[in-house]
Amino acid sequence: MASSATFSTLVLSSSFATQCNVSNRHHQSCFLSSPPKIPIFSIPKPVSLKLTSLLSKTPTFFTIPKSSESDAAVVDVEPDNVEPEPEPEAAPEPEPEPASVVEASKEEPKREEIFAVVMIGGRQYIVFPGRYLYTQRLKGANVNDKIVLNKVLLVGTKTTTYIGKPVVTNAAVHAVVEEQGLNPKVVVFKYKKKKNYRRNIGHRQPNTRIRITGITGYQDYPAVTLES
Amino acid sequence: MNKKEILKLAKGFRGRAKNCIRIARERVEKALQYSYRDRRNKKRDMRSLWIQSINAGTRQHGVNYGNFMHGLMKENIQLNRKVLSEISMHEPYSFKALVDISRNAFPGNKNVVLPTRKADVSINV
Repeated sequence: MASSATFSTLVLSSSFATQCNVSNRHHQSCFLSSPPKIPIFSIPKPVSLKLTSLLSKTPTFFTIPKSSESDAAVVDVEPDNVEPEPEPEAAPEPEPEPASVVEASKEEPKREEIFAVVMIGGRQYIVFPGRYLYTQRLKGANVNDKIVLNKVLLVGTKTTTYIGKPVVTNAAVHAVVEEQGLNPKVVVFKYKKKKNYRRNIGHRQPNTRIRITGITGYQDYPAVTLES
Repeated sequence: MNKKEILKLAKGFRGRAKNCIRIARERVEKALQYSYRDRRNKKRDMRSLWIQSINAGTRQHGVNYGNFMHGLMKENIQLNRKVLSEISMHEPYSFKALVDISRNAFPGNKNVVLPTRKADVSINV
């Protein structure tokens, strides 16, 4: 099972890398999809991620540090000799590039691999530390306010899952309000045929962008642990 | 709406409906009516999709969707179908924990036939 543990970390890093490229927000730790992903995680990945991190909205984590972590995993697990060689070469190359990107990459090792399902404004979201999400407008929240979300329905880490019935007690998700804005406009067009009835209304729903900083307080809850 | 706005909304339409204002106006009005209706339909379709994906995920563990949801309701787990379908796709171990909880709360399925995984069958490359 040790090999599967390293295998799963490799899958985690490779799949995070692919998800970061798409700027998606899902935590990919699926064991079943591991075989096709390993060959994809090859030479161009670290370099391309470095460049897209300047352009993408969410902070792309798991670029250089993850590739270094996966180097160890790759050497342990994979009999493939091609993969480990280009990666140590590719890793030091992008580092002399723009300093802003280097700062972002240095924060990445602090990212804990944990997710939570939180209920905000009547809707449930899967939430990761460091990523942002748009929710319904939170009244009375100003920009750069720290917010604690208490309705945490599920917390998951790499090895354990805390399933709330219905809420994980004392669990809290800390977030910072980034922006109070509006959704893109939708045109509400009402029309009745042959009755000369036309109404054209534009609508922008207010929203709030919050960035998740951390997930705490779940440790004492009864958990389901993975036996591996 | 004036002509310019209508023709802007008519981009990508077929034939003269993207160029000629008289035809474009009709088509754009129809398109806007469809979008109004489909904003409501999208919610229904997404829920149906989530249910299908949860069903697929639970059947891999030998439980069908109905019994799974009944077990969750009994245990007072209030995760909605959107989150459950995401977990079933991306967090297989957490999802298995949920299925086990539901099975303990409501053991509904007898004569369980687990599907064989095609990944287990080796293919000569």
